[in-house]
Amino acid sequence: MSGIVDRRGERNRRSPPTVVVHCIGEHGGGEHGFGERSFGEHDGVRELLAGLEEEGVPVRLADPGEWGDGPGGDGPSVTAVDLAHAAARASPLDVGVGIDSDSRVCVHHAKRPADRPVITTDATRARWCGHNAARLVVGLPLKEPPEQLEETWPHH
Amino acid sequence: MTLLVGVDIGNSTTEACLAELGPDGPRYLGGALAPTSGVKGTAENVPGVVKVVQEALSAAGRAPHELATVLVNEATPVISGLAMETITETVITESTMIGHNPDTPAGAGLGTGTTVAFGELDTCESGERVICVVGAGVDFEDAAAGIAAARDRGVEVTGAVVHADDANLVVNRLPEPIPVVDEVTLVAKVPLGMPAAVEVAEPGRTVRTLSNSYGIATLFDLDPDRTRLVAPVARALVGNRSAVVVRTPSGDIADRRIPAGTLTLIGEHSRLSVGIDAGAEEIMAALRRVAPLADATGEAGTHVGGMLATVRDAMAETLSDAAAEQDVRIQDVLAVDTFVPQHVTGALAGEFALENAVALAAMVRTSRAPMEALAEQLRSALGVAVVVGGVEADMAVLGALTTPGTERPLAVLDLGGGSTDAALATGDGEVRSVHLAGAGDLVTKLIDSELGLDNREVAEDVKKNPLAKAESFFHVRMEDGTARFFDEPLPAEAFARVVVLGEEGMRPVPTRHSLEKVRQVRRSAKHKVFVVNALRALERVAPGGNLREVGFVVVLGGSALDFEVPDMIAEAVAGAGIVCGTGNVRGCEGPRNAVATGLVDNRAERAR
Repeated sequence: MSGIVDRRGERNRRSPPTVVVHCIGEHGGGEHGFGERSFGEHDGVRELLAGLEEEGVPVRLADPGEWGDGPGGDGPSVTAVDLAHAAARASPLDVGVGIDSDSRVCVHHAKRPADRPVITTDATRARWCGHNAARLVVGLPLKEPPEQLEETWPHH
Repeated sequence: MTLLVGVDIGNSTTEACLAELGPDGPRYLGGALAPTSGVKGTAENVPGVVKVVQEALSAAGRAPHELATVLVNEATPVISGLAMETITETVITESTMIGHNPDTPAGAGLGTGTTVAFGELDTCESGERVICVVGAGVDFEDAAAGIAAARDRGVEVTGAVVHADDANLVVNRLPEPIPVVDEVTLVAKVPLGMPAAVEVAEPGRTVRTLSNSYGIATLFDLDPDRTRLVAPVARALVGNRSAVVVRTPSGDIADRRIPAGTLTLIGEHSRLSVGIDAGAEEIMAALRRVAPLADATGEAGTHVGGMLATVRDAMAETLSDAAAEQDVRIQDVLAVDTFVPQHVTGALAGEFALENAVALAAMVRTSRAPMEALAEQLRSALGVAVVVGGVEADMAVLGALTTPGTERPLAVLDLGGGSTDAALATGDGEVRSVHLAGAGDLVTKLIDSELGLDNREVAEDVKKNPLAKAESFFHVRMEDGTARFFDEPLPAEAFARVVVLGEEGMRPVPTRHSLEKVRQVRRSAKHKVFVVNALRALERVAPGGNLREVGFVVVLGGSALDFEVPDMIAEAVAGAGIVCGTGNVRGCEGPRNAVATGLVDNRAERAR
């Protein structure tokens, strides 16, 4: 046998390359200081997706139950880190983001140990997390945290 | 049989060489090394000396009471200083510009029109050509909706300037894309109601119109005089993917030029003045013509004057009080062309332009360091005889001659931190030596300023270690193309960054420069200082200035441990048929311990 398997037929069944986001819990609109917007998702998710879109990286919001990590499922004990790692492993790009019911946001990479995520922060920095999740995919250095956005070195 | 130890007190390290003196010459028992305590040549050095002596003794398994004599060299009575000044400056008048490189500008093409604040967009008339300026706190959906509504009313919004990192989000929500430049931190300072142009290039390309003086002249209908004023803007925008230029009424920022000034080199027979803006090559050529140098002065009220004053001040600080009173006469200068990223005066997003600069290292000869006082203190601290003697250069040559495969005539190149020293021992035992300004510290300074690091420690790391780029969380690509894998995931801060792999592990270099650029800056800094100085020094000590008369060159000193400097020097002198390489004192110490070994060797010669 040649050992070569024709996989072209499987191509359509595979999911397109995206960053995967797992989010549980409901968060009211004004809670995080983003005004009164309501898009059915909480503002953390909106900002997160905006960050990824600005960097031009495709993203998919997935039901965490589908890939829920371990027996906890989507119970309140599941942390953003668990969600993010599960999301990263489900992502063809190896990058996932998790948002838990405590508004913690975590960016993870599938190849990193489960307990050592790339970033953990809260939903007020969701936009920054979105940028950085995208940058992991495209291979750009991570952005400085929002407080230090001013560049301290030249741009050439 | 007597046990002696030679001690070399250097600027940064103190080295010892322990030997037993028998009837058939010295038997070397080992060496030791410790950081120098205090300023070289002062009584503060005692703890450092005591430490190396004890370490050398215990390493050889000898007791302190067996020690007969400690030999200390006469420190080279030179100190050096550094200064750097820019000689060009980008000042923008009659226009302001935004020329930073956000990672993600959006749209592509060129938009022109009058600048209008986002809030004022609904007051614009139909048919008006405008550039929309979106300030802080405006959401991207609102911005896109506002611009789309204005365009529906017939207002030609041809481009936008945005405060947040929002360009793609705004453009993705417009029915038709327009060029948008984002991450403009000082968006509030963009003048409103003025003619402006926004240009964004396709990914992978750079702006074409706004980086061309005539492009700007065409857009704003400028006459030749005004085109001349706008030329620095075009120059500052070269290489950017996105740019904004706003025409402002004249006289906002005055044009000014800093006089670079002239440097007067006073030789023993003649004097020559040379303009600093002529560049390093001219200055060094003038220096060769007046050599030997007796002193150098800079024109007061100019950059050169300031530079030499800085150097003299720095020297006065290191000199002892008594020595400070004497004239500080500059015995050598090394000028190096460099460039410094400087804030552009009149720019709006904290832009930098690379300005030409000249770095100047200078060296002065001082009165002899108070070695006798130091020796007296050592005598009481160690309880043994302490002998001061031996000129450092002579001792270095003797030590270098213990390198396997060398013989006279032999030249020593001592690459230190502050100065590059050379000594040549001819066949008849005569030693000629020279001390030149400029060495490792200048290299660090050049790397620091050319990369805009503003951090000496990082610059030092970049100087001493090969670079790598963290390509994933588990591997880096070294600068020679090889990959190196790690078991532990790399820290997130290092991801996709240029890193140095130093002794203390991996350290990201805080720069947006590519690995190739950082490497090129590092190598050119080393070349401009060490290779230039090595050739200069060898020419000065070689008989008749002819390098071919020098048989062997042994590279010594802290910078001889550098991973590429000795190779660069060997390559540069290869043409003269010289055997050049890093020293290996006593066949085991490498480029270290030459002076300490020379002290012992010298003593042994005399004893015979």
